[in-house]
Amino acid sequence: MTMANTPTRHAERLRGGFLSGPASGVLILLGFYILLVVAFAIFTPFFATTRNAMSIASNVAFIGMMAAAGTPLIIAGGLDLSVAAVAGLSGVLIALLNAAGWPIWLAVGAALAMGVGVGLANGLLSTTLRLNPLIVTLATMSIVGGAALILTGGLTRPVMQPSFNWIGQGRLAGVPVPAILMLSVYVGLAFVLRATHFGRYVYAVGGNPEAARLIGLPVMRVQMVLYVISAVSGAVAGAMLAAMLGAAAPAAASPHLLTVIAAIILGGTSLAGGRGSVWGTLIAVLILGTLNNGLTLNDVSSFWQDVTRGVVLILAVGVDQVRLHLQAR
Amino acid sequence: MDNRIDMVNVDKSFGGVSVLSNVGFSIQPGEVVALLGANGAGKSTLMKILTGVYSRDAGSIKVEGVEVRMSNPREAAALGISFLPQEISVMPDMTVAENICLANMDQFGRGAFVDRAAMRAKATKILGQVGFDHVSPDSYVGHLSVAEQRIVEIARALASDANVLVMDEPTAALSERDAQAMFEVLRNLREDGTSVVYISHYLGEVFEISDRIEVLRDGRNAGSFHTAETDVESVLAAMLGRAAETLFDHRQAPSGGEAAFEAAALGWKDKLSDVSFTVSTGEIFGIFGLVGSGVEYLGRVVFGAEGRNVRGDMRLMGSPYRAISPAHGKACGLGYVTAERKADGILGDLSVAQNLASAFWPEYRNGPFASRHAEAALAQKWIKGFDIRTSGPDQPVRLLSGGNQQKVCVARWLHEGVRLLILEEPTRGVDMGARRDIYRQLAEFAAQGLTVLVLSSDAEEIAGLCDRSLVLNRGRVVQRFGRGADASALLAATALTDPAEVEKELT
Repeated sequence: MTMANTPTRHAERLRGGFLSGPASGVLILLGFYILLVVAFAIFTPFFATTRNAMSIASNVAFIGMMAAAGTPLIIAGGLDLSVAAVAGLSGVLIALLNAAGWPIWLAVGAALAMGVGVGLANGLLSTTLRLNPLIVTLATMSIVGGAALILTGGLTRPVMQPSFNWIGQGRLAGVPVPAILMLSVYVGLAFVLRATHFGRYVYAVGGNPEAARLIGLPVMRVQMVLYVISAVSGAVAGAMLAAMLGAAAPAAASPHLLTVIAAIILGGTSLAGGRGSVWGTLIAVLILGTLNNGLTLNDVSSFWQDVTRGVVLILAVGVDQVRLHLQAR
Repeated sequence: MDNRIDMVNVDKSFGGVSVLSNVGFSIQPGEVVALLGANGAGKSTLMKILTGVYSRDAGSIKVEGVEVRMSNPREAAALGISFLPQEISVMPDMTVAENICLANMDQFGRGAFVDRAAMRAKATKILGQVGFDHVSPDSYVGHLSVAEQRIVEIARALASDANVLVMDEPTAALSERDAQAMFEVLRNLREDGTSVVYISHYLGEVFEISDRIEVLRDGRNAGSFHTAETDVESVLAAMLGRAAETLFDHRQAPSGGEAAFEAAALGWKDKLSDVSFTVSTGEIFGIFGLVGSGVEYLGRVVFGAEGRNVRGDMRLMGSPYRAISPAHGKACGLGYVTAERKADGILGDLSVAQNLASAFWPEYRNGPFASRHAEAALAQKWIKGFDIRTSGPDQPVRLLSGGNQQKVCVARWLHEGVRLLILEEPTRGVDMGARRDIYRQLAEFAAQGLTVLVLSSDAEEIAGLCDRSLVLNRGRVVQRFGRGADASALLAATALTDPAEVEKELT
């Protein structure tokens, strides 16, 4: 019996190693990000400037916000494809209600309430009815996206309210407000996942839902809350985008859905649930945003940027598989 | 007779840690050899070397007298050595004939097409050879019983001309009766000269089926016995390396405690009906039944894992209790240890400490927040008190051996909030040492007032551990036993069907 755990003990020692430690996924990603930044800084004029860094920060804020809230949801075994559509409808609601005479913050409140509603619908359908979240949120994505088109007739609507536009365009101590909002969501979620019992439940529920149920953990409630958080973050992201652009287009956010999911996966979160971290997602969001920015500064066409993003994603997932393999050995 | 396989002085280490040293193993044609040893003794490593999954560091392997070196399972299969893992792996949506011929599809071709008639003929021939010709080669494997699927797997190995079968815990998923059917097949194989290496934790079956018993301990040979000339005590002594103590300590039966749990005319779907029993405080009560008898549902039904549709009445500590959900059961003071440790017991990626804390997580806190420190303290307590072998509280629980994982699953519920602990197959696939630790721990907690309900298809377990027990068959209680019931009486009771006639209170 003393021999029983010596191989595992050895595996445990390996875990301290760079490639196989438990936090190694995030570290590898961070290393890659630093390389990327250094490479761009050397080869690209104007890249390594405060101004450009702030531009990257405010450009990624909107995607980063949605990816942040999507991360714990995927860790817990859920999935939200409707988040970008919710962002679109959120901006549209704010623009239309404000134009109809609602005070701007009341309109924002209505958009957030819409987010709560969509989140509850996603949660109820996928937990109590046990429908596949991929199908449920694909359906709500279509419904919500359609609603935004119906309300606007497909047109872009302006929102011009200085206090509101500040959340998209303003700065605090030189840092763009959207970036600060996004970062605070990451800090908040990281704290919840690490330091609260709810955070423990998220990993337990995603790692083995049936075991979690038999332990008596509130599996449905956890997933429900996460669906609501995800949809509300979509609504906030949509408000931020509308504030930034000074206008709300019904389909403004939809093209970014795949970037959101790609960032979560690139960040090391397992689509099968149970593993992942919001810091990984944040670095992944920065990698994708920096890649876009750097390639644009180098006059690479946006068509090639899509190709590059795909290649990075495959590389990252490949490296991650190798890493997990090393860990399991 | 010449040995078919001869392994001599085999060494294997992983990362500098020796797992096998100087191990020898041999088998003759037509011989069934049981390979025994506690978890971690090296038996799976040895068999993985024999079947080409691992390479050896030193030593020699001869097949039919010829030195061989295999680098993958395919090469081993080409030499006639086939490995049947513990989990049954068949294709449920293919027919019996297709499953059997799967590995050699190229032999059943007509150009690009499959020759179904030839496949069917081959399958029929092999099924006849193992004495299992009542299964049609055209039935879908998904429609067969687990035991029949196991036999299809054996037939598949034979179809690729295997003459050495290595079987890892082949009866783990089978009821006793199904196991008998499989033993019949093994006896037929033995007649035909096939060699079988049989890895099992069930000493009863080992004595029933094997010709010879090889024991490994800590990566070395620890004894070789001719089954007919030895007894359980000697084999246990070799496995455990000390005087074989019995698995079960003598227990003072609790003296007429109050009724902790009462079930009256419990029923669920068509799987359970009219099940009544009363368990007193501090008692270990056993429910015995073969797979399919309802023993695999009763615990889940009581705990709430099967939802609200439960017939009959239950009382817990005198007040009415209704099954609603696991969370509700837990809130009422119930705990439940599942039979399927890997599937729905452990939280594999989470640490030992988090697994131990999981059932009562909010109690391990620092102010309003979760506390790693409190979790780790809990883990240290159990690692010491329950002898959980782990590199530390932070080790992911999936890296532990089966026995240690089971200890974690049990310890999770040994908490003052739990009044009635329900355990289903508490020692399935668990090594002897861990088994004894688990039994001892349960007895200790029962002595302190925990009420324990054990559901098992292992008759020795129920007979040895429980103060009183009952036997289920086809969802009904067929007989009740008091302390000192023996395993054979329990097994005999499973053949009873009419509860009205045979139910007698023996307590």
